[in-house]
Amino acid sequence: MTCNMKTRGYAKHYYLMLLPGFIWLTLFSIVPMFGIVIAFQDFNPGLGMLRSEWIGLENFKYMFTLNDSKSIFFNTIFIAVMKIVANLIVPLVFALLLNELRISVLKRWIQTIVYLPHFLSWVILSGILLDIFSFNGPINAVLSMFGVSPTLFFARADLFPFIIVGSDVWKEFGFNTIIYLAALTGINPSLYEAAAIDGASRLQRLRSITLPGIMTTIILLSVLSLGNVLNAGFEQIFNLYNPLVYSTGDIIDTWVYRTGLLNLQYGLATAMGLLKSVISFVLIAASYFLAAKFANYRIF
Amino acid sequence: MSRIKKRFQLLLATMLVILPACSNSGPSNEPNPATGEVKPSETYTQEDPFGKFQEPVTIRIGKEIDATDKSLPAGDSPENNQYTRHVKEQLNVDTKIVWQAAAGKDFEQKINLSIASNDLPDAMVVKETQFRQMVKSGQLEDLTEAFNKYASPTLKEIIETTKGLAMQSVTVDGKMYALPNVTPEADMVHYMWIRKDWLDKLGLEPPKTIDELEMVATAFVEQDPDGNGKADTVGISGPQLGGNLHADFLNPNNNNFGFDPVFSSFHAYPGFWIKDSEGKTTYGSIQPETKEALSKLRDFYAKGLIDKEMSIRKNAQELVKNGTAGIYFGVWWSGGYGPLADAIKNNPEANWQAYAVPLDSNGEFTPHMGNPSNQYLVVRKGYEHPEAAIKMQNLLYRDESKFDVNVAIGNYPLRLVYAPMDVMDVTYNVMKEILAGTKQPDEVDRPGYNLLKSDAENVKKVKLEPYDNNDIQYWDPDADIGVWKRMYSTLVGIAPLQQPFKRTYSLTYSQTKTMERKWATLDKLEKETFLKIIMGAAPLDSFDQFVIDWKKQGGDEILAEVDELINP
Amino acid sequence: MVLEKTFGSKLFDVLLVVFLGGTALLCVLPLWYTLSVSLSENAAASAGRVGLWPVGFNLSAYQEIMGDSKFFNSFWISIQRVALGASLNFVIILLLGYPLSKNAAVLPFRNVFMWILVFTMLFNGGLIPWYQTIKSLGLINNIWALVLGHSVPVFSVILVINYFRNLPKELEEAALVDGAGPWQMLINIFMPVAVPVLATVTLFSIVYHWNEFFNGLVLMSNADMYPLQTYIQQLVVIIDAQTMTAEQIQKMSELSNQTLNAAKIFIAMMPVLVIYPFLQRFFISGITLGSVKE
Repeated sequence: MTCNMKTRGYAKHYYLMLLPGFIWLTLFSIVPMFGIVIAFQDFNPGLGMLRSEWIGLENFKYMFTLNDSKSIFFNTIFIAVMKIVANLIVPLVFALLLNELRISVLKRWIQTIVYLPHFLSWVILSGILLDIFSFNGPINAVLSMFGVSPTLFFARADLFPFIIVGSDVWKEFGFNTIIYLAALTGINPSLYEAAAIDGASRLQRLRSITLPGIMTTIILLSVLSLGNVLNAGFEQIFNLYNPLVYSTGDIIDTWVYRTGLLNLQYGLATAMGLLKSVISFVLIAASYFLAAKFANYRIF
Repeated sequence: MSRIKKRFQLLLATMLVILPACSNSGPSNEPNPATGEVKPSETYTQEDPFGKFQEPVTIRIGKEIDATDKSLPAGDSPENNQYTRHVKEQLNVDTKIVWQAAAGKDFEQKINLSIASNDLPDAMVVKETQFRQMVKSGQLEDLTEAFNKYASPTLKEIIETTKGLAMQSVTVDGKMYALPNVTPEADMVHYMWIRKDWLDKLGLEPPKTIDELEMVATAFVEQDPDGNGKADTVGISGPQLGGNLHADFLNPNNNNFGFDPVFSSFHAYPGFWIKDSEGKTTYGSIQPETKEALSKLRDFYAKGLIDKEMSIRKNAQELVKNGTAGIYFGVWWSGGYGPLADAIKNNPEANWQAYAVPLDSNGEFTPHMGNPSNQYLVVRKGYEHPEAAIKMQNLLYRDESKFDVNVAIGNYPLRLVYAPMDVMDVTYNVMKEILAGTKQPDEVDRPGYNLLKSDAENVKKVKLEPYDNNDIQYWDPDADIGVWKRMYSTLVGIAPLQQPFKRTYSLTYSQTKTMERKWATLDKLEKETFLKIIMGAAPLDSFDQFVIDWKKQGGDEILAEVDELINP
Repeated sequence: MVLEKTFGSKLFDVLLVVFLGGTALLCVLPLWYTLSVSLSENAAASAGRVGLWPVGFNLSAYQEIMGDSKFFNSFWISIQRVALGASLNFVIILLLGYPLSKNAAVLPFRNVFMWILVFTMLFNGGLIPWYQTIKSLGLINNIWALVLGHSVPVFSVILVINYFRNLPKELEEAALVDGAGPWQMLINIFMPVAVPVLATVTLFSIVYHWNEFFNGLVLMSNADMYPLQTYIQQLVVIIDAQTMTAEQIQKMSELSNQTLNAAKIFIAMMPVLVIYPFLQRFFISGITLGSVKE
């Protein structure tokens, strides 16, 4: 391409542009990364990273030898995957619906309002949730109007994961909508006008203009969210769970926390973090190469 | 999406959450709490506990601060105030704060980070778990010599009121690695608090036994004691979300809203290491007495006598404050310093009184007891003047009464809370004498009991006549709510402890090696099983399976270690 | 926009308004509840008697905050942090995003740089080495630790890269014909066109820097340097009475003031609420700019 010819001399300028960012990255991200060695140590703060005893994969093995490790891993992945899917789809649907709204004042108000819960921490929100789902709370009141007898929601191990996912979506969908909305503004309005002249219905326009227009964003977000398959949300679950729902609600992070209550297991925590990182990296790399090979599409 | 962006932060948060605690028993040969005692060796010569250093000495400290403290005069700071200046004047010690954080979780996180990154100030005050971790990591200076040479006689006396318990908790391999604090014994004993106005209204007597407790609780639920015509009252309030059914050996004190006295009335001591009937070391949670107690609690819950939403309610105090609960269990301060100020604001007639019940089948009150020390003054290994830290405590204790009381005492650097074990009993009895007129406030002066005088001067502000009746109508909380909280806690909360009762101590209050890795699993198993049994989500007999699993999954191993610990 | 008149479409519009409005209401609830608590009497609030309407309406919590110099001090720290942090992020994101949107033929080793970025997004060494690094850089108790501490916002960089890559090729070619160098090209041509995505990532930066509390706690050794959310965090932490001394508990009992805390939380949310609609305008102006270029 002629374009490439002309801009080839620009490379050194491009490197200059990259320089400050990569200096920052090196100092605050790459240098501390050597702390990963703690995952393979029986870390003793008095001795530090260089002199602590090396114990190989002991910390990793320990995670898998627990009696309840199977259920903990299952709970973590189950909750995390449901959250990933729901947090991709709900904001997308919401953004598309909002895009169909023709009263622009209302549109802007709703857009501003729905992202409010994002700013409240789980410490605060969990208190409100417990009220809403309490025995005398509004949910039970509504259910009783339909003749359903009141239930102790947070004592129900079968419902717990769904309450967790539902409330997480409620907290985050508004904020997550922002990226989709930004992508939607990038679509050229003249395309819609042309389609309207051709007599295309709303659904047809959605399928042939809107969705293709934001497909890049959807794919990008999907792939990057793969990094969360082991993140079920510590803060949320920690503030909401109780021993009655351990069987479905106890996740890796809460388990590590309780272990840490007894003695500070730096090695175990770092090993856990590393395991999450490796899995995320493998998944993201795999989807990157699959997309490149089969769809000839580069995600980043 | 925003979530991926926050990933780094989340990972940090995960790291943070495993930080708030750490502990390790290390190679421990602590003496048997029941018999052993670590006596300060006699070979040290006592030096002047208040001796001034020739050359200025600097001590770098990490300090907890009170985010709402407004007591420091303009120009003063936590690092430079009447206390630090006094320390400089008297001892020639400069205090320098290298970091500060709000009391509570924030302060703990700072300490944990400090320990983990081995970036330690010269001295700081830590918790038990952190103390163990630092001993294990070899980060602490041996204080044996400094303590024996420089601790003032008063300080040593107060530590001795614990009969060796305080010294045991800081002694590892015969070396003293921290200066322990001493808290009142009253913090350890849990008993029943009840709405006396409800009892009176329904013509009932305070319950003494478990059966009477059941009867009263039933009446509270069924007979509309608040008289609003709605069946909205709860008999017994239970633990809140994240709360514990009972205290345990790691956190033996201050378990308000648990069921501790119910368990102990069956001689069940779940969570504690005890001797069984044959004198063998065992764990309270796997004993048949615990099953009995669980069976009774399960029965109570099924009958609706215990808050239906126990353990999933966000705040147990709510039920007391809004006047729907009639009974809860807690320690002496759980009323006055707890929900009662708000409860009487919402309903001035809410007359909460405390009784040392329920009693066991012999009519005896048989609570479990805890550990008197929960703060540890530690000095970094290699710090040249460990005695400076000890001297600062000596000085504080000698001169505390001379300071301007308007400046919060929390601003004293490296302050440990020292209260003789019997401080609350002494306070209670002196207050009784003041109220009876057999003693005047200006006659009150007992070294070591430093709040006694101001209590004596203040008690009549809030207590109305008749002085021997503690019912709520004979109090004036509005006169000074702060004084009321303290005096109500003392007069109402300490009264039940004025009769003899049978104390049961845990064989140990620290962990063994195997616990480090297996306790989280065992603890989960226990909490899940017990709560499910009480709330009817699992049959009572799942207790038997629990005992088998507990032993198999490491319990037996740990029991052997505990046994080894106390019978070396 | 083109208007349609069919009945089905109208019905859809009505349902849409009802549904979206209902969802929005559901999202206001927690904030409304917080406001309601902040305007209530403390005794009623802590007894759980406050619902969607204040009980014992009063403004004392807000009056107390007005006299709280620590609150305003932290507020100011947060504003500085957001200003510095969001500006720095903006510059770095742009400077990384633009060159990395070029392909490897134009920018050799482009993919190596890209994978390093993705790698650092996913891997980290944990809290301790990170803290030690920042300490050795001498940034403890310095506002720059808060600005720099979380390193490059890689996710935002990726968003910007993709946005640039999806722009029509003619844009660059036209600029080349005009003889624009790489820096002019970035500043005069690409930056204005990328307003929607830049506004989005800037919003993310602002929200991150405004809401982040943990770094404030860990990296600041003096409470006078706490950003606002760290200050608030100290107030709402769960109290673990079992490990406290009786004296600490006594202090806590005087501290626990739910209405005051609710008021502080409410005020702390205000700035982002004010800024968001403002940035939203930029999303919309992005459309206009986007269509001009065609």
